[in-house]
Amino acid sequence: MSLLELDGVHAYYGDSHILEGVDLSVEAGEVVALVGRNGVGKTTTLRSILQLTPPRAGEVRFREESLVGLETHEVAQRGVGWIPEDRRIFSQLTVEENLRAAIPDADGVSSGLSLAFDAFPILEERRGQDAGTLSGGQQQMLAIARGLVGENDLLLVDEPSEGLAPQIVADVAEALSAASEDATMLLVEQNLPLALDLADRFYIVDNGRVVDDGDADAVSADDERFRRYLSA
Amino acid sequence: MIVEALADFLTLSELGRVVVQGLAKSALYVMIASGLTLIFGLMGVLNFAHGSLTMVGAYLGGLVMVLTVSQSTGVVGRLGLFFVAIVVVFGALTILGGAIETTVIRPLYDRPPIYQILLTFGLTLVVDEIVRIVLGLYGMQPLSDWQAALATKPQLLREPAALGPVEVRWLSVFEILLGVLTVAAIWAFLTRTRYGLYIRAGSEDSEMASALGIDVRQVFTVVFALGIGLAGAAGTLLMWDVAWGASVPLAAETLLPAFIVVIVGGLGTFRGTVVASLVVGMTDSTMTWWFQNYIRFTGLPELTLFLVLVVTLVVRPQGLFGVEEVGGH
Amino acid sequence: MAISTDTDTQSAAVTGLDWPTEYLRAHLPHLALVGLLALYPSIYHLLAESLSLYEAEILLPGVETMTAVLYFGLFAMSFDFVSGYTGYLSFGHAAFYGTGAYTVILVANGAVPLLGPGTPFVVSLLVAGVLAVLLALVVGLVSFRLSGVYFAMITLGFAQVLYVFIRGWDYVASNPRDGPSVGPTHPEGFQIGVPGVDQLNVAIGVLAGEEVTVLGHTLSGTAVSYYAIGAVVLLCYFAMQRIIHSPFGRVMVAIRENEERAVAIGYDTYRYKLAAFAVSGFFAAIAGGLFAGFRRSASPENSFYFLTTGDALLASIIGGFGTLAGPLFGRLFDETVREFLSKSGQGGGLLPYLRAGLGEETLATPVVGDTSLGVLIDTLLNGHASLYVGIVFVLFVLYVPDGLLGTVRQRVGGTLAEVSAARFRDAASESETSDDATGGDEQ
Repeated sequence: MSLLELDGVHAYYGDSHILEGVDLSVEAGEVVALVGRNGVGKTTTLRSILQLTPPRAGEVRFREESLVGLETHEVAQRGVGWIPEDRRIFSQLTVEENLRAAIPDADGVSSGLSLAFDAFPILEERRGQDAGTLSGGQQQMLAIARGLVGENDLLLVDEPSEGLAPQIVADVAEALSAASEDATMLLVEQNLPLALDLADRFYIVDNGRVVDDGDADAVSADDERFRRYLSA
Repeated sequence: MIVEALADFLTLSELGRVVVQGLAKSALYVMIASGLTLIFGLMGVLNFAHGSLTMVGAYLGGLVMVLTVSQSTGVVGRLGLFFVAIVVVFGALTILGGAIETTVIRPLYDRPPIYQILLTFGLTLVVDEIVRIVLGLYGMQPLSDWQAALATKPQLLREPAALGPVEVRWLSVFEILLGVLTVAAIWAFLTRTRYGLYIRAGSEDSEMASALGIDVRQVFTVVFALGIGLAGAAGTLLMWDVAWGASVPLAAETLLPAFIVVIVGGLGTFRGTVVASLVVGMTDSTMTWWFQNYIRFTGLPELTLFLVLVVTLVVRPQGLFGVEEVGGH
Repeated sequence: MAISTDTDTQSAAVTGLDWPTEYLRAHLPHLALVGLLALYPSIYHLLAESLSLYEAEILLPGVETMTAVLYFGLFAMSFDFVSGYTGYLSFGHAAFYGTGAYTVILVANGAVPLLGPGTPFVVSLLVAGVLAVLLALVVGLVSFRLSGVYFAMITLGFAQVLYVFIRGWDYVASNPRDGPSVGPTHPEGFQIGVPGVDQLNVAIGVLAGEEVTVLGHTLSGTAVSYYAIGAVVLLCYFAMQRIIHSPFGRVMVAIRENEERAVAIGYDTYRYKLAAFAVSGFFAAIAGGLFAGFRRSASPENSFYFLTTGDALLASIIGGFGTLAGPLFGRLFDETVREFLSKSGQGGGLLPYLRAGLGEETLATPVVGDTSLGVLIDTLLNGHASLYVGIVFVLFVLYVPDGLLGTVRQRVGGTLAEVSAARFRDAASESETSDDATGGDEQ
């Protein structure tokens, strides 16, 4: 049985049909990468799991339970975490408050904070600072830390390396692979070598559908399939 | 003549009086406006019914006072009962606010923000008219201040107070104290409680907050309810101030300054609202002094409030503390 | 069947219809409505006065009220013109209405430089319109840098500045808080018509309205005012309607639907918004001028105050936001309810009807505590139309967001004029083919 299953998911933004029947599954403990060109529906797939963009048809199951029709916070409370594109940290809240907002249980605040600060010591140094004043790399760390402290079984990670300098990407990659020790991960990533490096399996998405999939260890980034679907 | 006027203005007793009166006005403004700003900051709803609910609070508070205060009640008793009245009104209007949010505001979140303005505008018509009907049943005049409620004010608050060479009214001091108390309470709630954290997180990015497991809709209801509760509490205080008093027109009289304060401060930032209250209150009392003593034109102090609004929006459209993108609401 | 031998008509029959017929058919709903409104005073007179149908008197608004519906309806339409079509809520619209009202009265009182008290009403209406355009340009230059709630608030701010200013400015009236009224320099009624030609003018006003005898039928001053004001309103409506249906109007709608896209296509939306705002200000001032000309007085509260804008908003939402004609129906609804619930003493309205119908004894019955039924009815109804209009308004916002006319248009799939014109075209082409067929049989 899979931790997460998407079965023929259709989703729209207004009138435009973005997802035209996405099928995929993620097993517990895996890291699965979604790759594909811009605008093919990768981010929308993550949003449809969270019910931020509720599917109009199809089924999303998490631990055998349907998520369709739930509110976003109910999905989150079931153990689905989101590390979104552009980080979306609360810039007017302090670093510590950002983390507190992500900790589900008031009793778990101190253990949650120490979990985050152990993983990212820089956040402890900056804990009282407004999160908006952090650098891009630090903000990404904070976004990942928010995912970690949320007691999530599944992390939906969207473009974690976007807009970051190469040596910072390495730090982020390290942080993500550390995070994947404890949690299952569905990862959207433009940087193909990074995606294949982190992932166990991959799906290629094109025009709102999954068109191919495979074992991430068995392919290289210049594989013919990637060239067909990823080159612009 | 201008030099003479300026010298007159800058004497300690005059300046001190202007400052204290300005602070008292600021305190009233911050009480009227803080509920409005909390609601807008989180939910993007500009609540046109805010003034009407302040007016309801003034009458309800007056009712509590009129029913409990007798001729023989002393200063301490009256002040004590006043705080009871504030608590009662705050509670009652919080419940009313929760009911309004769940029944009529909630269905409109998916519509353009204009519809929330329209709906709350409609609510003001309904609320004001219900109040008129109730007043009519008891033979009270909707347009003039409720004298019986004013009469429950303790004698002390009618007397002048001397702070050194500066002569002010005790009522001003009382209003300043309550304003400071209100700001401190809201500040503590927002920064020291878990719920306050949720409100601030939701105000910045409600989608992200819900993806972290926060029930943003419930937070909406609570904030709307508390915002209305605050409007009512402010009304209770206004009932004792002869410059305002409990009457139906109080709804419009408080709504417009509250809008000005909230917009000048930057829609939805509590910090901005506090600062804007001070700016507007001080401007108000300063201009009042000038127009009373040297420039003859009735109504101009009111005019200056709107000029502050227009100037702010021209120079800094997002308000003193507003974030640029909120302008797109 | 007589088939004309005229070649023109035959060629017209090929394309369908000749253009005047086409035009008339396209505007059939307009004509029907205008016809109904034109007959209204007679209908009212017939039902309520000649036949003394009590029910008609209770339910139908009087002709004087209908006049108010017309000029305020024009104001609400001008509000809808900018707010409903560009999406920018002009919350300070009362400023233009007030400008119109005050200009007319001040001109009549000889208080405006260069314009004597004898200035024809039509001219002072135009002057009022031009002043409002200037005001709109000044306000708009600043306000259109903002959008959404901020735009609504800054226009409200400007209007309130004017309201407070006008309320304290003793040049406009001896008691500026009560507002100005037309003084002894202009005792006669304001005349609508062609300036300078006495025969082509009629005076309007509640008392100053002039009686006119047409074909042996004498129209009261009230009815004459109704027709004269109605004609101006109709003219203004068609002017606005033409603009909405012009390329300019399409840009306005594009701004409402997606301003970024309109900018991307290459439109200077700032100029379009400013122009639309100026046009709506012009017509708002005409409406205000008509109001002042009819009532001969104005107060800050019923002209410049923000609740005047609120009334236009109410009419627009109930009638249909972004439909142009809808606000007139919205205002009609609003005024009808108000009159229905507010009239007391003799005359129509619900209250006297209930008093008469229920009888003394029933009315004296205590219902709640000591309060008798009569007192209760009185308290709940008399003058409290705002409550019921407010409830209806809230229900419309919640459940009928497109308003009366908007919903009707959605049901039939287009504006009534378009739909009925299309029906006619279909019917015409059908009957043509059948004509040809029968013609062939005959031959």
